[in-house]
Amino acid sequence: MSSHNESILREPLITGENITYAKVTNDILVPVENKPNKAWWIGFTVAALGALLWLVSVSYTFWFGIGTWGLNKTVGWAWDITGFVWWVGIGHAGTLISAVLLLFRQNWRNSINRSAEAMTIFAVICAATYIVAHMGRPWMAYWALPLPNQFGSLWVNFNSPLVWDVFAISTYFSVSLLFWYTGLIPDIATIRDRAKGLKRRIYSVLSFGWNGNVKSWQRFEAVSLILAGVSTPLVLSVHTIVSMDFATSVIPGWHTTIFPPYFVAGAIFSGFAMVQTLLLIARKVLGYENYITMFHIESMNKIIILTGSIVGVAYLTELFIAWYSGAEYEQYAFLNRVSGPYWWAYWSMMTCNVISPQLFWFKKIRTSIAASWILSIVVNIGMWFERFVIIVTSLHRDYLPSSWVMFYPSWVDVAVFIGSIGVFFTLFLLFLRVLPAIAMAEVKLLLKSSSDQAKQKLIREGLVKRVDAEYYLGSLEKYDSVEYEKSVPQAEYVKH
Amino acid sequence: MESNKKYWKGLEELQKTPDFVEKNKGEFAEPLPIEEVLNEAGLSTITPRRDFLKAMGFGLGAVTLAACQTAPVHKSIPYLIKPEEVVPGIPNYYTSTYNGHSVLVKTREGRPIKIEGNPNCLLSKGRLDANGQASVLDLYDVSKLKNPVLNNNERASWAEVDQFVVTELNKLVGKKIRIVSSTLNSPSGKAVVADFITKYPNTKHIQVDAVSYSGIIKANEVSFGKAVLPHYAIDKADVIVSFGADFLGTWISPVEFNRQYVSNRNGASLAKKKMSRHIQFETGMSLTGSNADARILIKPSEQGIALLSLYSALGGTVSAPQKLTNNPKAAAAISIAAKELAGAKGRALVVCGSNDTSTQVVVNAINSLLGSYGTTIDLDNPSFQHAGSDADFVDFMNEAKRGEVGAVIFLNSNPGYDYVNPKEFTEAINKIPLKISFADRKDETASLCQVIAPNHHYLESWNDSNPFEGYYTIGQPTINPIYNTRSAEQGLLIWAGNPVKDYYQYIQNNWAKTVLAASGKTWKELLQTGSVYLGAKPSATSAFAGDVNAASQAILTNSSNLAKGASKDTVELQVYQNVSIGDGKAANNPWLQELPDPVSKVTWDNYIAISPKYAEKLGYAEYDLVKVTKDDYSVILPLLFQPGQAQGTISIAVGYGRTHAGKAAKEVGKNAYPFLSFINGTLQTTSRVTLSSTGELPYELARTQTHHTIEGRNIIRETTLKQYLQDPTSGTGKHFQNKVGLWKEYEHPGHKWVMAIDLNACTGCGACVVACNVENNIPVVGRDEVRRRREMHWIRVDRYYSFEEKGNSVTEENEINHMEDADNVSVVYQPMLCQHCDHAPCETVCPVLATVHSSEGLSHMAYNRCIGTRYCANNCPYKVRRFNWFNYWNDSRFENYMNNEFTQLVLNPDVTTRSRGVMEKCSMCIQRIQAGKLTAKLDKRKVVDGEIQVACQQTCPTNAIIFGDLNDPTSQVAKALSSERTYYVLEEINTQPGIGYQTKVRNTAEA
Repeated sequence: MSSHNESILREPLITGENITYAKVTNDILVPVENKPNKAWWIGFTVAALGALLWLVSVSYTFWFGIGTWGLNKTVGWAWDITGFVWWVGIGHAGTLISAVLLLFRQNWRNSINRSAEAMTIFAVICAATYIVAHMGRPWMAYWALPLPNQFGSLWVNFNSPLVWDVFAISTYFSVSLLFWYTGLIPDIATIRDRAKGLKRRIYSVLSFGWNGNVKSWQRFEAVSLILAGVSTPLVLSVHTIVSMDFATSVIPGWHTTIFPPYFVAGAIFSGFAMVQTLLLIARKVLGYENYITMFHIESMNKIIILTGSIVGVAYLTELFIAWYSGAEYEQYAFLNRVSGPYWWAYWSMMTCNVISPQLFWFKKIRTSIAASWILSIVVNIGMWFERFVIIVTSLHRDYLPSSWVMFYPSWVDVAVFIGSIGVFFTLFLLFLRVLPAIAMAEVKLLLKSSSDQAKQKLIREGLVKRVDAEYYLGSLEKYDSVEYEKSVPQAEYVKH
Repeated sequence: MESNKKYWKGLEELQKTPDFVEKNKGEFAEPLPIEEVLNEAGLSTITPRRDFLKAMGFGLGAVTLAACQTAPVHKSIPYLIKPEEVVPGIPNYYTSTYNGHSVLVKTREGRPIKIEGNPNCLLSKGRLDANGQASVLDLYDVSKLKNPVLNNNERASWAEVDQFVVTELNKLVGKKIRIVSSTLNSPSGKAVVADFITKYPNTKHIQVDAVSYSGIIKANEVSFGKAVLPHYAIDKADVIVSFGADFLGTWISPVEFNRQYVSNRNGASLAKKKMSRHIQFETGMSLTGSNADARILIKPSEQGIALLSLYSALGGTVSAPQKLTNNPKAAAAISIAAKELAGAKGRALVVCGSNDTSTQVVVNAINSLLGSYGTTIDLDNPSFQHAGSDADFVDFMNEAKRGEVGAVIFLNSNPGYDYVNPKEFTEAINKIPLKISFADRKDETASLCQVIAPNHHYLESWNDSNPFEGYYTIGQPTINPIYNTRSAEQGLLIWAGNPVKDYYQYIQNNWAKTVLAASGKTWKELLQTGSVYLGAKPSATSAFAGDVNAASQAILTNSSNLAKGASKDTVELQVYQNVSIGDGKAANNPWLQELPDPVSKVTWDNYIAISPKYAEKLGYAEYDLVKVTKDDYSVILPLLFQPGQAQGTISIAVGYGRTHAGKAAKEVGKNAYPFLSFINGTLQTTSRVTLSSTGELPYELARTQTHHTIEGRNIIRETTLKQYLQDPTSGTGKHFQNKVGLWKEYEHPGHKWVMAIDLNACTGCGACVVACNVENNIPVVGRDEVRRRREMHWIRVDRYYSFEEKGNSVTEENEINHMEDADNVSVVYQPMLCQHCDHAPCETVCPVLATVHSSEGLSHMAYNRCIGTRYCANNCPYKVRRFNWFNYWNDSRFENYMNNEFTQLVLNPDVTTRSRGVMEKCSMCIQRIQAGKLTAKLDKRKVVDGEIQVACQQTCPTNAIIFGDLNDPTSQVAKALSSERTYYVLEEINTQPGIGYQTKVRNTAEA
């Protein structure tokens, strides 16, 4: 290992002293191997109540019909598709982290990819529930699939973006699930090896007989790379296709060629915000501060500021093009967004998505856990409004003013949405209890090269220049998991 | 031949081994394990008998259980003896008569399901209004009485009723008997009443209409000595000036007037470079006013003065000439109108909606000056559509109060609801010992009567009518009486002890004596054609002999009373009938309740129409609940901001607030009849009322349209007559030429069904909406769902306002909000339905191909395939797709005619009802297209143009909608679409719609 030490200038990805492989396993498996604490129970109760609300409101919808929602003759989609796109968007960070960052050899992904992928899967499940729930006849949902059938020559309409959507979402879900599970296998084997009784038998089945030999690891690496290669186009394609639901229509405000890149950027934006929301809590509650460090938080904040700015540029481009196009209906659609009856939604979106993430230009803010968490929530709110603005404010005033309406949600609309958040958190909290929230095997890879203790050792051994060591030690200041005052005197070991 | 050959089975046999020989002794070479099978062990190894029986038993049981699922019970019963004229699946048409109009009743397997105008009808020419279309549902109304009622016994028999009535009538000595009916223009009905009077000579027949025209009748008596309601010929008028007469909406004979009016304004007339000019002076925005070329706002108190000043301007002499000093706009308009009228003498018509005799005398004087009598007004061949006399009814009330009346019989009349003072009426008739009603339900009046002898619905009975001089129509029953009801005339015949007890026989006798004798037609021919016209009587000269000065005095007194004490809270009220509910008789008809008012687009309620500016001045917001008080009567109603309502006035529609009409009419609006005023012997629609705030929460009216202007968009294209004459294409805008298309073009080798809609012919009446509802089984969703903007109508009539300011037309909301004077409103109507686009945006986005294009140019909707993603509706630029939010035909929460097993009988069996969760929309009446094609095929010929008529087109009183085959260049629709005025809505997004619109042309004054 010493033959290729990681540059001392790079910030550590693992902090803490006396970190061993065993300690990594012990730390990470705390929630899996122990009885849940009070915080988990409170969280789970609230989330399960939310899931119950979802069950009640969706059952109510199925029993009486979509009329229980606030939709009307002009606004045929509102909170349902807003929620759908919001959840699909959130899912994007997982794939980006697991696939794209892997291909680009961004090692810092190793600590967050597991949770992010889990989040992706649960978010896509929430999105998929919306697809079925928003149908007038959900029991016919399978008709959207090109299944051989005895109804005659009935087939799906490959011109319809909704059919593309069906393929995009189902592919995305299955590839994400596969990728996630593949990564889990070595970790499940670790749990198996430490567990007893029934638990051992279950994990044994789940681990697919992983034995950790070299050949297994080799194949594991190869499969990970292949899956990363397969998933990478999906990061772009899924939200591109979702955006085509709107972009291929004729409705002003929907019919926009900018949508695919703008939607993808927005999706990554919201996905990272959601990862941030979840992990900032999880690392605190589960004591993962040494593995999910300030470096991770700051990196994600940087991605948020980048994608947030892309989204901001897209918003302004839309406005400019609407004006520049000279197209009457287009111009009105955007004027109506900015100043029509739903102006508050537009400006909420603008504030939450474009203005507030710019605060991350300040290092103080992007390395503040409280600020990061609050802003991540703000971004999620903003991204919900973005979809609401696109869907509802475009539809409610389209071509013929005689059909212009307002949309008001019913209690069921609100309950289904809040309920879907409940479903999401229920799944996520259960995930934390049964599977390691951090990819242990992958984190262990970093221990020898990218951990603070490894780097401190280099410094102690006098293998780095003093100026570099000082730089390195200076960079530790922001880490909440490093006792900065204590580590600075280490500089004295430096010889030169 | 013998053979000694021996075949051996094995070497053992050949060699005859001892073993073989031993084994060959028995029947079987090896012993059978019989013992083994029969002992216990054997039974357990091989399938034992008991297990076999168990398996059989289970199998049989399972199969039986599986077969136990209830198979759907089809309650279709084949004809045991098939009636000769009924073929299941093939409709029959019968002539009948509705409201004086000859109609065709479509029946399927013995039940009437649709009413259409009879092409032979002189009034309607085959067309019908919304009320007529909806009237078929009243037949199936479950709120009707199922048996006669005698002294609160709801299961009385007819014999008991007859015995009771005859005994009671014979007991009345010296007391008066009064038959109170609405206008009775049935010749046989009148004869029955006459016979009744012969039997009981102290009987008098009093006709009273909820909305009365007695002012006109009295004025004609005063002016010309002819107490008649004249027959107007609007088609002969080049200049029409109307003072508050809503002749396209509700006034006298709207179906006829619509046709006549539009005949001078439609494409055919424009092609002859001719268009009538219509000026309307009115208070509230009526359907007629909204169609006028010029519309001038006057308060009710100014109407008489306006007429007087017009009279003076036309050269009439009056002792005290009047000027509209407070309304300079109207004063200017009067002089313009006078000039135009004077220039069109003999081709001019002035009408007035007032029921005031003096006002109508002035109108007569003006028409006399204009030479309208004998040209546009016919006094010698009068209309009998309204003959009620307000004064007669008041006399009856006084007689009753004095206790002189012994018996009263109400026939098709409901003063308990629609009299100006229901309380006074109740007190008066409580003094009458015998009260009989022929109402079909326990309505407001019938519930005060001892005897209710429920009358047939018109589709159950024989009847006839004589709507105007020389024109007679016959009505025949199209179904056996559904409940235990009896024709009212038959009841009168029985009570009068007439030798002819059967009304059918009576009608036949009566017609044989009169009309058939005069026309030489047979009874059978009559039933086939539905009507007889005996021709017009020669008109005598009518010299005006009225006293304008006296009338002027009365008008001025009346006006000053109306305008008296004008303050912040007291306003002038105009009571009117709206197009859908009319006088309130049909208030229990859900189709009509859900038909939006043509102008305000409000359903399921009446309201206070007020000008936005005026309301602002009074400090009210739209939908505020406001209390309207006149003397001791007050109602609380929501405010509706109505552009074009005169400042300082409000309007309220009658016909609402029915308490005893049935489920649909319950808690719908408030009764406005008590706001009428009885002045100078007639009931007038104006009064002075006080407004006061209630402080209650706003009440949102259920409207089908909540944005009212086109925002400068070119979806409505219009021009003026002047520009049109210079360039017929004026106003049609830049035509979009499609050069590049993403989709492949459809070929239409056979037919290409398209439609042409003439915006200049459409008056916005809404008959098409109801016709479509009836034809296509469209659910009624009720007030709350309309409020949520979920009405299901496949065709709607969009109404847009534009505001004139300094010669410019302003259509953008944010500008209108800042306008000083928003009174100059013009209105345009645009029927909007599925455009059957060749490049339909809805079709490409459906994931399951539930909506597809036909080779005949139609956008089809396959309900069974629809999974309800609503993507198509979102992507429809015309927003004409309707989603089944609930199971409207099987959800008890909806006041829906489809929910009731009995009212369901009105459904059109050719059109499926839709389940929840599927999308629906206009199909261009595909069932009619299919039927027409099949008929043609059976006849081995091509479909003839005009043979297939879609429901909206069929009923349109003005022929504004033309449907047909574009591939047939001689078809009417092809000709209409080749008009220079044609444009397509939203053609620039290249949807290639199948419906072309013709520009609206306004005959505005040259400014």
